Amino acid sequence: MMTQKTEKTTMSFSDEVTSRHGGETLTSCYQCGTCASSCPVAKLDSSFNPREIIKLSLLGEKEEVLSGDAIWLCCSCFNCQERCPQNVEIADLIYALRNIALEAGHSPNIYSDFASALIAEGRIVQISKFVEKKRADYGLPPLKPVGVDALNKILSATGFSKPEKTEESR
Amino acid sequence: MKSYAIFLGCTIPARQPNYELSARKTLAKLGVELVDLDDLTCCCPPPIQSINLESSQAIAAYNICLAEEAGLDIVALCNGCFESLAMANAALKKDKKLKAHINEILAEVGKEFKGTIEVKHFLQVLMDDIGLEKIKEKVVKPLSNLKVAPFYGCHSLRPSKLLQLDDPERPTIFENLLDTLGAESVEYRDKLKCCGGLLKGISDDTALSLARDKLVNTTKAGADCISTLCPFCFVALDIGQLQVKSKFNEVYDIPILHYSELLALALGVDPNELALRSHKIKTDKILEKIA
Amino acid sequence: MEQPKIGVFLSDCGKQLSEILDFNALTSFVKTVPNVALIARGSEFWRGKGLQIIVDAIKSGKINRVVVAESLTKISDVNIVQAVEDAGLNPYLVEVIDIKDHCAWPHRATPAEATEKAKAMLLAAIERAKLLEPIEKLEFSALKSALIIGGGIAGMQTAVDLADLGFEVNLIEKTPFLGGLAARAGRFFPTDDCAICIQSPSSDVKTITHTSRKCVYRSGFSEIPNLNILTNARVVAVEGVPGNYKVTIEKKPRYVDADKCVACDKCVAVCPVETPDEYNANLKNRKAIYINVPTVHPQVYVIDESACKFHDCAKCVEVCPTNAVDLDQKPEQITLNVGSIVVATGFREFDSSAIKEYHYDDYPDVITNLELARMIDGFGPTGGAIVRPSDGKPAKKIVFIQCVGSRDRRYNPYCSGICCMISLKHASLIKSAVPDADVSICYIDIRTTGREHEYYYERAREMGIKFVKGRPTEILKDTETGKLIVDVEDALLKRFLDLEADLVVLAPAMIPAEGTKELAEILGIDLDTDGFFKEYNAKLRPTETKQRGIYLCGGTTFPKDAPTASLHAHSAAMKATKFLISGKIVKDQRTAVVNEDYCGDCEFCPVTCPYGAISLEPTTEDHFVARVNDLLCEGCGVCVGTCPLNAIELRHSRPDQMRAQMNALMSVNGTSKPLVLVICCQECGHTAVDSSGMAKLQYPANVRVMKVPCAGIVRVNQILEAFKAGAQGVMVVGCKSDGCHYEVGSQNAEKKMDLAKVLLKEYGIEPERLEMFKMVFIEGNQFAEAAQMMTARVTKLGPLKLMENL
Repeated sequence: MMTQKTEKTTMSFSDEVTSRHGGETLTSCYQCGTCASSCPVAKLDSSFNPREIIKLSLLGEKEEVLSGDAIWLCCSCFNCQERCPQNVEIADLIYALRNIALEAGHSPNIYSDFASALIAEGRIVQISKFVEKKRADYGLPPLKPVGVDALNKILSATGFSKPEKTEESR
Repeated sequence: MKSYAIFLGCTIPARQPNYELSARKTLAKLGVELVDLDDLTCCCPPPIQSINLESSQAIAAYNICLAEEAGLDIVALCNGCFESLAMANAALKKDKKLKAHINEILAEVGKEFKGTIEVKHFLQVLMDDIGLEKIKEKVVKPLSNLKVAPFYGCHSLRPSKLLQLDDPERPTIFENLLDTLGAESVEYRDKLKCCGGLLKGISDDTALSLARDKLVNTTKAGADCISTLCPFCFVALDIGQLQVKSKFNEVYDIPILHYSELLALALGVDPNELALRSHKIKTDKILEKIA
Repeated sequence: MEQPKIGVFLSDCGKQLSEILDFNALTSFVKTVPNVALIARGSEFWRGKGLQIIVDAIKSGKINRVVVAESLTKISDVNIVQAVEDAGLNPYLVEVIDIKDHCAWPHRATPAEATEKAKAMLLAAIERAKLLEPIEKLEFSALKSALIIGGGIAGMQTAVDLADLGFEVNLIEKTPFLGGLAARAGRFFPTDDCAICIQSPSSDVKTITHTSRKCVYRSGFSEIPNLNILTNARVVAVEGVPGNYKVTIEKKPRYVDADKCVACDKCVAVCPVETPDEYNANLKNRKAIYINVPTVHPQVYVIDESACKFHDCAKCVEVCPTNAVDLDQKPEQITLNVGSIVVATGFREFDSSAIKEYHYDDYPDVITNLELARMIDGFGPTGGAIVRPSDGKPAKKIVFIQCVGSRDRRYNPYCSGICCMISLKHASLIKSAVPDADVSICYIDIRTTGREHEYYYERAREMGIKFVKGRPTEILKDTETGKLIVDVEDALLKRFLDLEADLVVLAPAMIPAEGTKELAEILGIDLDTDGFFKEYNAKLRPTETKQRGIYLCGGTTFPKDAPTASLHAHSAAMKATKFLISGKIVKDQRTAVVNEDYCGDCEFCPVTCPYGAISLEPTTEDHFVARVNDLLCEGCGVCVGTCPLNAIELRHSRPDQMRAQMNALMSVNGTSKPLVLVICCQECGHTAVDSSGMAKLQYPANVRVMKVPCAGIVRVNQILEAFKAGAQGVMVVGCKSDGCHYEVGSQNAEKKMDLAKVLLKEYGIEPERLEMFKMVFIEGNQFAEAAQMMTARVTKLGPLKLMENL
């Protein structure tokens, strides 16, 4: 139950989101709730509601949005984005919020693992010698080399920062 | 013989030999040449997009450049790879400013996105390039008596404006492709709803509830098996069934088969060559049904 | 033409201007200018004794050109020009400049510089006056008749208004019956009285008293002698000009003779064909021969030719007691000659099947508000019972969904404005008739903005109608019970609801009537970005279009409720009488004219002209030349700005006149700053200059203003001429991009200035010396700032170095 508090809203968070890749359409939202009722996760987990996340972002509740669990619960099914009458790119918006949250040091640890694998091998699932042998057994062709260098160059050109592992309290 | 650059992604080559085998063998039988390009990387699906969307889009564009240089369209097996690459392809073709921006980044690795190729889903290659008629001709073991619940997954269809695979509310491509194999597609409740695959490791409870919903609804509709297009969906429903059993104490015993596997069986590929043993829910009863 | 003898009249506005400007110096200066025959100074020249002085000078033959330096040109020049005309001189031989708002007041801090500028302004006016030519008044005859396209409530209202005034009125309707949406709507909010009542014409029809409002079928509306009603007919072509339109109409056969039909209904009884009744939203069937509802007009049956078996059956022919059925009727082509045309085609419901997740196309119990209106209507297909179309059982649980395809960027981004009220009306009527009905309305916002609309909303809540703030994602069907389930989040509660419903009613967007695009092309008028007919100006001319003789009324410009449509209809009628009353259109020949020797038949000007006033016509030598229609030409000069061969000129704004003004304005500096020429459009641009002066905003006197009808007239070579004349900087000021009073001029000018900048670079002139601005009257401060900014900019750039061969 939220206690009454004077809202110190700052529009700058809204601007921060709309200036991000994927966050451009945040301000088109008119809170109709189509996304919420389209969302398979929201119907199961009341801590996740896409309409609410957008509302909080519009209102400038940066801390709550970025440090909360909610933004990590989207399953990226794109049903909301498909049905939104204002063409708000809701799923992309969640990516943008996650991008910002990660830079601020919040994220589930699993993302750190993905990033490590990507940086090391250019893939998010590592291929072991065992797997390579199994492939040969099945008659599958050997895997071609991965463009790891190019990938890493692109990562650094786009300011990709590997998320650090944190104390998980989830 | 049309050639495609095959995009395997990360999960399929590592963990789903069943998908890769069935796809390669069926496309070969249907006269499509698959080229494995050098230097492809991860397509950067949602987990990477969550870290940095811009990096992901640039890497997706990089992979498309490799295909452009080879003069080949891409065929993707995994819904996630399809979505990541097709969305990047469509977005960059449509938005000049975005394209210029991404090309600035790609210049660092000596690449330039030109927008000359198409990114296609495995189903699109079958439907548009090969065609239902030709597939039907090559069917030697029609899957008659088999009731299949087609599960599109999310990323084959949505966001439809960019992916343009089929009508996002009333798709028919999967059903048509099953029909051409002689199988009967089964309508079931919430058929287009997410399997929860991407929530594994983040919110296992929700993920499992969503997987369970699918199992409940397909079973209620009388399906013999569920057919998938995406390795994540496969895992969510295949291994997922065992997890559902532990948590909810419910047994469904409904095998999960990728469309390519059903296609392979219908085209007469020897089941022993399809790595069917890698399925956690055994496919024996399906093989019996179609024998 | 005789030599110009120019009279120059200098007003000091009750001596206030002489506190700033040195009138002695001005008078001395003017005396030195050739062709000045008379100079007068006074306190005011725009009325009274001062004006008489001008009149006397004309009548005495001393002068044949008039230059007046006054204040508030916009108001005072009308008086002056009329007086000149009354005195016997052509009113276009007058040049009035605003010496107060354009000189004394904005430069009051630098009086000496202001005086120098005033000299330049006077010289420019005098030089222009020398080159002025008389402009004739043209008279075009106009037929005293009108055509109203569309027989809904708006069209009918306008038709009756015009017929009342004695004009020949033709009302054409594409369906077999009048009434449009109103006839189907049953009741109208906020009074919930019959829609047909509102259809009734004004009470001036014969024998009807002032206070009665007879329903249309009792009003004698159809018997008004000068009102010709054509139903089952469409406009296929329109030729001609305002005042004389030749309209080609295709009338479909009704197969029933209107003069013989006695509406006995015997034909319907014997007709063997049943077909879905689209008038009644396909909720029931009708016969191939039918009439919509008993109170509609005309009271003549009609045969649906797509369903009828004609001579293979002919039962209706046999049974008709008056031989009114004629199966051999053929389509007719009718030609009408009219003076004015009023478009009253209304709007329709958006096709909700596009939103597949709402299953409008495949769940019979999902219907629209219009379909529900037919159910509620006692004359309708269910006799007023609210039922489920799937099984005919009473519908007890009803859920409305608002904004279907409206406020939706994928379909229609606008708010249709009336659907909240329509749903509230329906919900209230249902609750009144069936008190234990469970009625919910799912909404994004409730919009009840009109008079008494808010009370309507209050009453709906009092009746126990439930409101859910949330737009449903999907409508599902429970396979066991067959009931519909509306999947919606109540955003206020943050709770997911699965609303069970017998009937789901969609409130679809209201979109332009079918055939709007084609009709717009036939008439040569524009559509707005939402596809509705575009009015000339929403605030000032809501029922007119850019075409002089074509008007708009009712929902054809945007969805409206009945009271607003009625208002609109009366307004359109009033406007449409403009030249019907006198039977003529009087217009000055301040129009464009083509020099046929230079015309290269390139087709640019006919395409650019916003009014369709230019057409290509064959000459004797077997090629084409452009010709301007003086009646259609609005005198903007956009064609002049477009022609690549300098083959077209605008009377009264000729290039030589413009050059003379430019040269004169740049000939006297008197300030320490570089000269900046401002070319303002006469519509908005010039008003920004006026208002900056009126507000006494200060800007430097090196800024010199000349006006043109529209910024679109300015040619790129004229920019070069301005620099050659001595301008160090050039400002072009036009209307806002989406508000050019001549439709396209401001946007054209902008594109040309971009091109001009490229050219300037080639000539070694810094492109920043040229700038285009868009301003309106209330932005006078922006003009002052822009003038200061440009002055500073060209000062910084230093003196202009013109190339030798320029």
